[in-house]
Parts: sequence; C-alpha cells; structure tokens
Amino acid sequence: MADITDKAREEFFSEAQEIVEGLSRDLLALDDAARKNESDPDLVNDVFRAVHTLKGLSGLFGATRMSTLSHDLEEVLDDLRLGKIPLSREVLDLLFRAVDVYGQLLLAERSMDRPTPPEVDAFLGELAAFARRSVAPASRSDEVYELDAGLLAVLTEYEEHRLRTNIQNGFSLYRIRAKFNLLTIDDELERLKATAKPFGEIITYLPTGDGGDAETIDLEVLMASKSPFERLVEALGTGQVRVEEVPRRLAGAPTPVPPEEVDLRLPSGLAPSIPAPVAPGRPSEIDGLRPPGQGGPREGLSLRSVSQTVRVDIRKLDRLMNIVGELAIVRSSLSRITERVRSNPGLRELGFELHRLHRGFERHLAEMQDGILEVRMVPIGQIFDKLGRVARQATREAGKQVNLVITGAETEVDKLIVEELSDPLMHMVRNAIDHGIEHKEDRLAVGKPEVGTIAINAFQKGSHVLIEIEDDGRGMDRAVLLDTAIRRGFLSEAEARELPQRDVFGLIFLPGFTTKATADMLAGRGVGMDIVKTNISRLGGVIDVQSEKGIGTKMTITLPITLAILSALIVHVEDHTFAVPLSSVQEALVHDPSVVRVVDGRDVMTLRGASLPLVRLAKLFGVADDSRPSTRSRAGFIVVVAAGTRRLGVVVDYLEGQQDIVIKPLGPSLASVRGFAGAAQLGDQRVGLVLDAPALVEEVLAGAEVGKTTLGLRRDVA
Amino acid sequence: MADLVRAPAKQLGRRAHAPARGPVVEHLAFKLVGETYGLPLADVREILTSPPVTLVPRAAKEVVGIVSVRGQLVTVLDLAARLGLREGTPGNPPLGRKTRILLVPGPLGEVMGLLVDEVLSVYRLAEPEIEPVGVLGGNVAEYVTGIGRRDGVVLILLALAPLLGQR
Repeated sequence: MADITDKAREEFFSEAQEIVEGLSRDLLALDDAARKNESDPDLVNDVFRAVHTLKGLSGLFGATRMSTLSHDLEEVLDDLRLGKIPLSREVLDLLFRAVDVYGQLLLAERSMDRPTPPEVDAFLGELAAFARRSVAPASRSDEVYELDAGLLAVLTEYEEHRLRTNIQNGFSLYRIRAKFNLLTIDDELERLKATAKPFGEIITYLPTGDGGDAETIDLEVLMASKSPFERLVEALGTGQVRVEEVPRRLAGAPTPVPPEEVDLRLPSGLAPSIPAPVAPGRPSEIDGLRPPGQGGPREGLSLRSVSQTVRVDIRKLDRLMNIVGELAIVRSSLSRITERVRSNPGLRELGFELHRLHRGFERHLAEMQDGILEVRMVPIGQIFDKLGRVARQATREAGKQVNLVITGAETEVDKLIVEELSDPLMHMVRNAIDHGIEHKEDRLAVGKPEVGTIAINAFQKGSHVLIEIEDDGRGMDRAVLLDTAIRRGFLSEAEARELPQRDVFGLIFLPGFTTKATADMLAGRGVGMDIVKTNISRLGGVIDVQSEKGIGTKMTITLPITLAILSALIVHVEDHTFAVPLSSVQEALVHDPSVVRVVDGRDVMTLRGASLPLVRLAKLFGVADDSRPSTRSRAGFIVVVAAGTRRLGVVVDYLEGQQDIVIKPLGPSLASVRGFAGAAQLGDQRVGLVLDAPALVEEVLAGAEVGKTTLGLRRDVA
Repeated sequence: MADLVRAPAKQLGRRAHAPARGPVVEHLAFKLVGETYGLPLADVREILTSPPVTLVPRAAKEVVGIVSVRGQLVTVLDLAARLGLREGTPGNPPLGRKTRILLVPGPLGEVMGLLVDEVLSVYRLAEPEIEPVGVLGGNVAEYVTGIGRRDGVVLILLALAPLLGQR
C-alpha cells in the first residue's frame, strides 16, 4: 500500500513539476508579448489553467500550502482574465515569483517534514496585499453595446470581457456559420480555430438550434477581426463555412442556449457566471511594460509545448535499449548461420531467402535503435525557458538591461544531458549579466546600444551539439587575468610570460581563481566557472572561451548528442580490449619510441612543438606482461586524449578501429575503481571497458605536478 | 546460456523423502577447491555457464571481472578467493569445464555473480540435519551459518548478506 502511495506521490511531483515548468514558459511568452504591447488572451488562459490544475492536484495530495498559493493566484489571474486588472509589470513580477515559490514548495513537500520556506508566507502576504490594492474599479454601466441581450446572457463573464475589448480596439464582428459532422467536430473546430487565429479572436460559438440533422450540427461562431470581410471570407469560407458580417447594430440574435450547454466548452472547473447583460469591466490594457530600450523579439524559441506527450521513466528506455542489444547478438548469430547455409551449394535457394530475411531484420533493428534514441531526445529549449527566467531576474537585480536572444531551441539532445546542463548554463548566463554586460551609462559612453544582448545559440554539428553563449559586454582583459593569476599565486611571472595567448582565458576555469574582491576588477567571469567546466566535462563535453576586450565574450560548449550511444576508438593492450570515447580523443599516432625522452622519471615526447606526457596503459592498469620489452623500446600507438586544455598520450598496442557503443555503468561494487566510465558490449558477447579519459588525464598529470598544472600551464617546461 | 536447476530439486525431494521435522530449506550445493558448500536456493537467481569474463584492472583481487547478462553488467567475484581458499587471480580465473557463475542479489540492489568450481545439486535440509556453527568452536566467520549433513555429504552452509556486505 505504501508503495502505491509513494508511486502516486512521485507522479504528483513529476506532474506538478511539469506544470510549473509549463507555467514558467507561458509567463515568459506573456512577458514577451507584453513587451511588444500585444496581448494574447490564450496565454493568460493557459496560465490560469495551469494554476487551476495545480490547485486541484495539490488539494488531492494534501499539499495545503501549495493549494493555498494556487487559490490566491487563481483569484488574481481570474481578475486578469476578465480584464479587471491590467497586465502590469507588477503582476508579471508576482507571477514570476510564484513560479519560484512553487519550486520551493515542491521541494519542501517532497521531503515531507521540511517547514514551509519563509518566502512562501511572505509571498502570500504580498499577493493578498496586491489583491486588496487592485480591487476592480466600480464598473461604469453607461457603456453600451448594441448587442442583443439574449446573446449577452449566454456569454460568460470572460467572453463578454473579450467581446468588449475587441470592440474597443476597433475590431469588427463577424458571424461564421459552419456545419460540423458530430463525429469529427472536435478536430474540425480546432482546425477552424487555428485558421481563424491569425485574423482575430473567436469569442464564442453556439449551436444554432436550426439546421443540422442526426449527424451534423450547425454552429454559429462569433468572431472579432481586424481584417476586412473579403479577406476573412477568402481565408475561412468553404462549402461548410459561411462568413457574415455582423452589422454594428446587431439585429437578430442567435438562439440562446441553456447555460449548461455553454458550460461544456469551458475549461474544467470554470463555472460559467452569467453577468447582468450590461456590466462592462475595464478592457485589458498593457501599461508601462515597454522597457526604455525596446525589448527585442526572441527568435525561434518555440514557446508553447505541444499536445500529445507521454511521460516515460528513462529507465524503461534503458531496458528497451538492452533488449535491442540482445537482438543485436541474435542478429550476429543469424548472420553466421546465413553464411553457412549460403556456402552450401545444395541450399542456395534457402540461403538466399535467409539472407534477405537477415537484411530486413538488420534494418528494422537499426530503425528500432534509432527510434529509442530519438525518444530520449528532448529539445534543448526546455532549459532555455528556465534561462529566460533567470536572465529576467538577474537583470532586475543587477539593474541592467539585457535582451536574451535564443536560437536553436528546437535542437535535440539526450534527456540526461539536458538535465545536467541546466545548472552550468544558468551559471554562465548569470555571469554574463553580472560581469559581462555593462551598465547603461557605460554602454552609451562607448557607443554601444543601451540594452545589452546575450545570444544563446544551439545547433547540431555532426554527432555533437554546440551551444554558444555570447554577450556584447565588456569582454575579458588578458592582462588583468594574468595579473590576477600572478598575484594569487597561480602562475609565476615567467610562466605568465610564456603562457600561450589562447590559454589565458582558460585561467577562469581554475578553482578559486576569482574571489569577491577581484571579481569586479576582473571585468569578467570566474565565480564557479571551475564547477561549470567540471559539469560539462562530466557529460563528455568541452568548453571554449573567446573574448575581445570591450566587444564581448563568447563561450562555446560542445556536447555529444547522446550519452546512450557514443563513438569510441577500440584499442588493445596486451590481451585486453578497451574503448576510448572519441569525444576525448584528439588524435592517434604511431608510437616512435626513439623520440621519447625521460623527464623526472616520466616519458614525454614532443608533439607539434609542445610536450606531451605519455603513459603506458598496460603499466597504468597493472596488466603489463613484464617479460615483454617496455614502452621506450617497443612500438605501438599513441592515443592523444584531452581533458579541457590538458593532454595525455596513452600508449596502446594497437588500434582496432572506431565503433558505436552503448555504454553501461559498472555496478556499485566497482564504484571505487577509478579510470572507467563503464563498459560496453563490443559484439560476439565480448565486453570492453570504456576509459574515463578525463579522469585518467587528471590522475596521471595530478601525480606529476601539484596544483598549478590544472591547466597544463607548464607544458613547455618539461 | 542460463539453466535453472529447479527441476533437479524436485526430483531430489521426491527421492530423498526426508521425514520433515521442522522447516525444510532448499540449499544449492556447489564445489569450491574440493569442499562442498551450500547457499539457500532462494538466494540464487540463475546459474550461468561461464560466459567470457572481462577483467577490470584495479578492482579488488577477488573480483574476477564483469560479464554482460542480457545487456546488464554483472560483477563476478571469485567465491573461493572471497572465502580465502585461494589467491584471487583477476584476468586469469580458474575456469574449468564445470565452472559456473551463480547470480545472486548483492547489496544496493546490484546483481552479483559468484564464480564456483562446480554446481552439484539441491539439498532439502530439515532443521535436525543442520548443525549450528557453535560446534566448530569460536571465531567462525560470520558468513558460515551451519554444517549440513545428508547421505554422507557434508555441506558448509553460507549466508549471502555477510558474504557480500562486508568487504
């Protein structure tokens, strides 16, 4: 029983989390629209519905604090929907904060015994205060529309408000009569709505009462539009749909229907309220939202999540992937049998058929594997939404004006990667706002536009996804970075002089490179960048920095598309087979023992003018056969692996080639064994260990020089 | 690859027909370095004829390596080395024709493999047939739960949890 409850709670959390995320997305869209002085009633409705659902959910699970919050928010949102209060910046701020409060509440609820975070009560207080302040002004009843009272009587308060707003905005009213098949009415109606949306707003639709038969129904749609009559007819009018212009003075009213029927079209839980026929509220207005520098449009970001989705535990997908792996083994056995049959002259016919079957099997198997991988992929835009929220908050705190431009939100990445990526990205955006973008006055002084821009761009490149975070801020100053590094003892002056230009920005990734005291002087990044880098490399990614003083900074993250399948170089050492993820392989070369020098007891060679420390894998792993000659006199291959800016040459016996592998974690009993990222099936039941290249680089180089070498700064010394 | 041994258990039970005095526990008997050991059958999920084992460098000596069982990685321990009966020889396990891997539940929900020299059969042991470890005197390892006797065969009975837990 406890299990069931736990499971239900889990579901509750994941569903609530999902709704809160959707809420955040819708708010951003709303914010965006408000900046452009547009209003999208659908968005307000979406927000309302999200909060309403949260209220229901939390009530169901006894999450009383959440349900109280939802209830109070719902009140405010209802007023907003009905145009009783304007969509002001204040309201938006409240709503954005609500998203954060929801997050805190979810955390608190999850761990059951945690006390209510103090922010929650504070926020509820503010919400109440706001509600008191913004009590709708007394409605003026002298505003009169020439609409039939019968029609008005069946409009909900909300529909009435929309009608009024549209008329006030100078939109014309149209009546659309359409015949729908009862079986397909839902789809057809959706289609009609979608077609009509660009032209205006559908205020309501009612059955006409006349017309229609057992299979069809006639609906009368009331629509407000700015487009001229002819355009609308052209766009919507078909055999089944007739568009009429409603004269300013409405003569015949559509047949009134009982309220219960109207109720059916409303979002669940919204009781239709039937107002007095004439009770005009104030039209919705967008006031003072335009920031002094015109928030530009965000491009390309799909703001609305779409329809039919299923939540799937990622472990289930892993299980499917395992089955695919098993099938691959079946396939290779089948392949062997096929070959045997084909080589038998007496069974040519059978062999041919078997071969064809095998080919088909192979193809479908590959499709299945691709399909499962595809399911794991989610648009990276999921985190970008969160980033928008962070950016908004950070700009407000820093008192700066920043425009976040996002492109490539639809780029797909493995779900696991997306999860792990959100913290580093948030950090980087915050840093760009805090340290990169200048204050308005400073920007104007150097002739930059007063609103700063942070551009986030994601795109796929081969089997990698690149994410660029670029700002047009003050950039980083190499001299200042070097100065700080020397002052803080990361480098000696001599080392600083020898440090190649391209490595200077890498300094910001050193743990503890910046502190509060120097952060401002640095005119750049620093706080926690070492953590950002660690997180990125844990995902098999790399991060690269380019910066121009006074012009801006661009950070590029390169990530593998999926963690589930990766390309690896298969290498052999003695009798053992290992896989090295290609993402960490820089190059592979033939080992020439004659160029190896020994420095301080370590093998080092020179590769394109820089020293490359070498390690013999057999020795490192203790699988060396001591009877054989050692590295220095024995040929083989060198696989150059990199972790960040540090490189290591791994000496192996021979290279087998490249292969796509499905990596599996080692069991907990092997958790203490370092140097392996997992293992993978390499075919014919063979299992090969996958090297954790960054960890090996760390291990080997950390043993050599302490502290300072984190960046490989002394590479030229050796 | 896997052959469950539940069928022999039934045959054996029917044949032996030990008068059931007290609860009867089924034990899987297997050989390790010449001695016969037993584990509760309920703890053994599957018996594998040993598939190729991949050495894990740097792992503990008693770790033979890893195998893939239907796509899942399983860590295989040399049970004899774990019991101190012989030195662990990772990468070069004492694999014979009769060598088997017992899949058993390990700590933290992990499935572990135990390498044994030979699987014998299943014994249904009633309480009077099991001598408590006390007869061996003090200082008996925690994982030995008793001595089973049946038809002249002596089984050293093991318990899984202390065997895998403390390492």
